[in-house]
Amino acid sequence: MKTCTSMLGCAGLILMLAGVGMAEDLTADAIVAKANRVAYYAGKDGRAAVRMTITDGKGGTRVREFAILRLNTTGENQKFYVFFREPADVRKMAFLVWKNVDGEDDRWLWLPALNLTRRIAPGDKRTSFVGSDFLYEDVSGRNLNEDTHELVETTDTQYVIRNTPRNPGSVEFKSYTVWIDKDTFLPRKAEYLDANGACYRRVEGLKVEMIQGHPTVMESAVSDLVSGSRTVNTFTRVEYDIGLTDGIFTERFLRRPPREVEP
Amino acid sequence: MKLTLTNFSLRHPWLVLIVVLLSTVWALFQFPKVTFDNDPENMLAEDEGVRVYHHRIKEAFSLYDFVVVGIVNEKHPDGVFNVGTLGRIDRLTRDLLSLHRSEDGKPAVVRPGDGAGPNRIQSMDLGPTGWWGQMLGRAFSHDPNNLFDAEGRSVIIGHELIGPGVVDNIKQADQGSLRIEFLMEHPPRTPAEARIIRDDAMSNPLYAGTLVSEDEKAICLYIPIVTKTYSYNVAELVRALTRDWTTEDRVYITGLPVAEDTFGVEMLVQMATSAPLAGLAIFLLMWFFFKRVSLIIAPMLVAIISVICTMGLLIGLGYDVHIMSSMIAIFLMPIAVADSVHILSEFFDAYHRFRDKAETVRHVIRHLFKPMLYTSLTTIAGFASLGTTPIPPVQVFGLHVAFGVALAWVLTMTLIPAYIMLAVRTRMLDAMQDCPVKPGECAVRSSWLNRTLESLGDVSYRRWRVIMALSLLVVALSITGIVRIRVNDNPVKWFTAGHSIRVADTVLNAHFGGTYTAYLTLEPAVVQVPDCHEQAAIMEREVKVRFGAIFPQATERFTTALRALEQQYRTMWSSDPNRCFVELVETAGQIDEEALASWNAMAETINYLDPESLTAAGLLEAVNRVAGVNAVDREILSGRLKSLTALTGESLQNAVLAVCDEYTGRSFREFVLDMRAELSAPLFKQPDMLRYVERLQEYLLSQPVVGKVSSSVDALKKAAYELNFVSIPAYAKPEERAVLDARNRASFAVPDTASAVGQVFTQLEGMKRKDALFHMVTRDYQRLNLWVQLKSGDNRDMESVVQAMNSFLAANPPPVALNCGWAGLTYLNVVWQEKMVTGMLYSLASSFVIVLVMMTVLFRSALFGLLAMIPLTVTILLIYGLIGWAGKDYDMPVAILSALTLGLSVDFAIHFLERAREETRRAGQWRAAVRQMFKEPAMAISRNAITVSVGFLPLLLAPLVPYRTVGFFLATIMAVSWLATLFLLPALLTAFQRWAFPQTGDTDVKTGESGDGSQPVGVKMEKGIIQ
Repeated sequence: MKTCTSMLGCAGLILMLAGVGMAEDLTADAIVAKANRVAYYAGKDGRAAVRMTITDGKGGTRVREFAILRLNTTGENQKFYVFFREPADVRKMAFLVWKNVDGEDDRWLWLPALNLTRRIAPGDKRTSFVGSDFLYEDVSGRNLNEDTHELVETTDTQYVIRNTPRNPGSVEFKSYTVWIDKDTFLPRKAEYLDANGACYRRVEGLKVEMIQGHPTVMESAVSDLVSGSRTVNTFTRVEYDIGLTDGIFTERFLRRPPREVEP
Repeated sequence: MKLTLTNFSLRHPWLVLIVVLLSTVWALFQFPKVTFDNDPENMLAEDEGVRVYHHRIKEAFSLYDFVVVGIVNEKHPDGVFNVGTLGRIDRLTRDLLSLHRSEDGKPAVVRPGDGAGPNRIQSMDLGPTGWWGQMLGRAFSHDPNNLFDAEGRSVIIGHELIGPGVVDNIKQADQGSLRIEFLMEHPPRTPAEARIIRDDAMSNPLYAGTLVSEDEKAICLYIPIVTKTYSYNVAELVRALTRDWTTEDRVYITGLPVAEDTFGVEMLVQMATSAPLAGLAIFLLMWFFFKRVSLIIAPMLVAIISVICTMGLLIGLGYDVHIMSSMIAIFLMPIAVADSVHILSEFFDAYHRFRDKAETVRHVIRHLFKPMLYTSLTTIAGFASLGTTPIPPVQVFGLHVAFGVALAWVLTMTLIPAYIMLAVRTRMLDAMQDCPVKPGECAVRSSWLNRTLESLGDVSYRRWRVIMALSLLVVALSITGIVRIRVNDNPVKWFTAGHSIRVADTVLNAHFGGTYTAYLTLEPAVVQVPDCHEQAAIMEREVKVRFGAIFPQATERFTTALRALEQQYRTMWSSDPNRCFVELVETAGQIDEEALASWNAMAETINYLDPESLTAAGLLEAVNRVAGVNAVDREILSGRLKSLTALTGESLQNAVLAVCDEYTGRSFREFVLDMRAELSAPLFKQPDMLRYVERLQEYLLSQPVVGKVSSSVDALKKAAYELNFVSIPAYAKPEERAVLDARNRASFAVPDTASAVGQVFTQLEGMKRKDALFHMVTRDYQRLNLWVQLKSGDNRDMESVVQAMNSFLAANPPPVALNCGWAGLTYLNVVWQEKMVTGMLYSLASSFVIVLVMMTVLFRSALFGLLAMIPLTVTILLIYGLIGWAGKDYDMPVAILSALTLGLSVDFAIHFLERAREETRRAGQWRAAVRQMFKEPAMAISRNAITVSVGFLPLLLAPLVPYRTVGFFLATIMAVSWLATLFLLPALLTAFQRWAFPQTGDTDVKTGESGDGSQPVGVKMEKGIIQ
C-alpha cells in the first residue's frame, strides 16, 4: 500500500467510516486494506488539477501543471490519465496507466512534439514521476501483497504500520512505516528506511479536506532526505463521480485529449 | 659585536641550554596539534578565481570527486561481461552502497544471507596490522577506518555512485514498448544475459568508453565521495572488499583524488623516514670525517633542534603540513650542520694553541663570523624569496625554512659554545693535542682528493682561457636546453613507474576514454529572452510560412493583431513577452473559433464514439447530429469519408480523426502556444544550440588526448533514438528494412523543435536514477556541462585541449554568445602550475638581485659581487639546460629547486672569494695564492659539498618522484656549483686579476678577518702547507 500520496487526492467511503468504532480490534492487514481504499479508491472516478513544485536541494524550483483523471474499473483495478499543461514545452504531453492489481501495470506515453505514442514496458514502478520526488508507484499505489504489514503502535489518533517488502531485492528500501489517521483511515505520513535503517524519504499529506464526503488530501509532499530535494503537490478542482467512461483511457485519447481535462 | 652572542653563551652556558631546551619543549608540545593537508588544490589560495569557479561548477552540477575503480578481465572470452565478473561487480556495488559504521566504530557492509536467510552484517578493520604502520597512523592521526562524517554517515555518496547496477538504460522491449531500467538490473545468471548487458552498454554513448571499455575487457565504478581527503581510505576499502576475487578479475584504483590523497599519505611516511635517514647519513659522514662522537653530537643537536623548532612554529602558527612543508626537515638538516661543522673543525685545530676552551671559541668565531653570517643570509634570502610566490604552501615552506636556517645560525653561535663549555672535557682536548691527527687524519684519508684538487688548481690558473671558453660553451648549450624546457606536471607521475597508482593509471587509460576529467561549462554570455518586438517579427515570419497560403485572410488578420500588440507593448518599459502572448492567444482563439469550430466539434464527437462495431454510416450519422457545424465543413468530411467506407471500428475512427486533424491542426491558437514554447525555451533546449554543442564535442574528441566527451546532448540523442525506434518486422522486404533502418538511424539526433527536445528531456528527468541528467545540464537548462575525459593528466595535454577549444570557438561562433569556463582537478592543476612557473621565475629573479647586493656589500666590491654570482649562474643554467635536454618535465619540485640552488650554491663562492683575497694579500700576488687556494680552502669546500649532497641522498630511495627529484637535483647542484667554483672562479680571477687584486693600496680590499684574525689563520695555513 502507499500513502496519501495519491495524485488524485484521497478519499474514504462513508461505509468505511462507520467501521471506525470497532477499529481497535483490527489487524494490521485490515487497517492497511481500509487505508488503501480510502487513499486510492474514493468514488467511482475522480478528477483533479495538480500543481507540482519540485524544489531541488539548492533551492531552485521547477513547476509542472497537469490534470489527472481516475476511474475505478473491475475489482481493484484502476485507470489513470495524466495531461500536462505547463511548462510550455511539455504542453499536451500525456500518460496513461492501467493499474492491474494482479499483474503488471500497463503504461503509455504521448509526446505531441514528436507525434509519438510509446508503450512503456512493465518494469520498475519505483521510477521518478516526471523528474519529481514522487514515484510512479505513488501515483497508482503499491500493491498490498508486496509487503507484510505489522501494527507497531496505536496512538490516540493514528495507527502506525510497519511494512516490510516480501522480496527485498525488488526495492531500494528495507521497510517503510505509515501513520494512518484512525478516524478517516487516511494515511498521513510514510517514512522509508534504507538498508542501514536510516530514514531517507518521507511522504506527507499536508492538507486534508472533505470533498463530496471523501477525506481528500489537497496538498502532499515528498522529501528526499538524501539529496534535499522536495516536491509539493497542490490539488484543486477535485471532483468525484463525474461519470468518466472507460473509452477515454485509451491510446486514441492520448493523441486527442478528452474534454474532461480541459480547465 | 661579532662576539656578543658567543661571549654571552660562554659566560652563561647553562642559561643558553635552558632557553634552547625550553624552546624545544615548547615546539614539541605543538606537535600533537598537527594537521595535514594533502590537497594539491591548496596550491591555490582559497579565494583564487579558478578555484572559486571550480567549486561553483561542482555545486551547480552536483559534481563530486570520484574514486575510479576499474575491473579488468582479459582472460575470459567475453571480457568482463561474464556471469562471474558481473556478479562480483554487483556484489561490490551493493557492498559500497550499504557501507555503514558498525557498533564498534568499524566499517561494515550488508550482505544477503544464504538462501532466504536474513541479511548479515560484515564488519571489517582496515587499519594497518604492523606496529610501524599503527605507530605512523597514530602519529599522523590517520585512521584508515575513517569512512564516515561527523554524523556517522558514509562518505560514499551512494545515490550518485556510477556503476552498471545503478545507471539507467532505455531499451526496446517486446511489442514495441520501451523499457526503462538499470543497465544491470540484476546480476546475470547466464552468459547470454551477460552479453545483453554488454550490448546495452555499448549502444549507449554515455556508457561506452566511460563505464565500460569499448574493448569489452573492463568496467569502471565511479565512487563519489564527500571530500577527496577520504579517497585513500575508500581505495583501501575497495581493496579489502575485492581481496577474495579471482585473479582473472584485476582491480585497479585510480583517479586524481586517489592519486593526490595517496600521495599525501605516503608523504607522511616519507617525512617519518627520509628526514631521520638524512640525519643518519650526515651523522655517518661526519663520523667518517671526524671520528669522534662527542664532536659530532653538537652539529646533530643543532640540526635536530632547528627542525623541531621550525616544525613546532609552523604547527603552532596553525599552518597545515603540506607536501612542501613535509620536506622542511630534509632541507634543514644538511644546511643546519654545515656551520657548526666549520666551527668544530676549526676549534679542534686551534685548541692546542690557546689551551683554553673559551679563548679558542672566541678565536674561531671571530675568524668565521662573517662568512658564516653571509652564507646563512644568502641561504635565507634564497628560501625567503619563495615568500613572494603566489602559492600559499610554497610561501609557508620558504619562510619556515628561512626561519630554520636563521635559527641554525643562532644555535651555532650560542649552543655550540655552550656545548663546548659544558660537554667537551678539557682532558680529552688535551689528550688530543698530544696526538694532533684530527685534521691530518682526514687530509691523509683524502690525500688523493688533495692531490687532485691541487692539480686542478694548476689547470684553472694556466688554462684559464680554455676554461672560460668551455664555460661559455656550456652556457650556450644550457641556454639552448632551457629553450627546450617543457613545463608540465601530473600528480599521478609523482609516483614511481611501478607504483600501483601509476600501473592502474596506465591500464585504465589504455582501456577507457580516460580517467582524467575536466569540465567545460557553457552558459549564455547574457541571459536574454527575445523581447516583444523580436518575438513578433519571428511570429509574423512563421505564421506566413504556415498559414499564408491556406488562410490568407486569417493570416492577414492575425498579423494585424500581432502588429497592434507589438506597437502597444514595445513602448512600455516593461515589455513582458508573456503578456503579449496572453492577448495573442485570445485573438488567435477568436480566429480559430470562426475557422475551426466545426471541425473541433466534429472531431470531439468522433473521438468519443464507441469504436465497437462502428461503421462509416454510423459515424456519418453521429457527425450529422453535431450541432453548430457549418455545412461546408460537414460536406468536406462526408466527402472524405466516402473513401474510407471499407474500414470499420477503431481503424475507421482513427482514419476519420486523422482527416479532422488536418483541419484542427490549422489552429492559430495552437500555433501561438507552440511558438511560445519555442521562443521561451532555455538555451540548452534550443536545437540550434544543441547541434552546436554536438559539433563542439566532435571537435574536442578529434584531439588525440581526449578520449571521450559526454554531455546532455548524448543523453538526448540516445533517448530520442529509443523513443522513435521502430522495430523492423521479420517479414519486411530488404528495401523496407533499409528505409526503416535509415529512419531509425536518423532519429539518433537532436530533435527539430525545442518542444520535442523538452519532451525527450522530461523522459530523461523521470528515470530510475533521478537527476542523473543534471550533472550535465542545470535544471533550468541555461548552463551545460561537458565532461571531457583525457587519457593523460599532464598539464600540457590539458592546456592543448583548452587551446583547441578556444580556436574552435573563434572559428565557429556559437548561435548565441557563450561564456565558457573550465573546471575539474585536471584543469586546476594547469592553473597552479602556471602560477608556480611565473612565481618561481619572479622569486628567482628577486633572490638573484638580493644575493648580488649582499655579495657586493660583503666584498665591498661590485666586481667581487658579480664574480660571486657567476658559479651559481652557470650552475642554474646548466641544471635547467640539462632538464631541457633530458626532456624531463619542469614540474613542481623542479620549479622550487631554482630558488634553493641560488641560496645554496653561492656559499662556495663566498668561501672561495673570501679566502682568495686573503691568500693573495698574504702571498702578494694571485699567482702564488692559487696554489694555497687548492689546498685547505678547496678541501673545506669539497667537504661541505659532499656533506650536503650525502644529506640529500636518502631521498633517492623514496617511492615518490618529487622526493627523488629533489634529492637528485640537490646532489647535482652541489656537484656542479662545486666544479664551477673551483674551476671557473680561479679562471675568472686570473683573467681579471688586474682589477680584482690591484698591486697597490689594498686598504679598500678589507676582509672580515683582516687585523685581528690573520695571525692564527696564517699559522694554520702554514700547517696546511707543511702537510
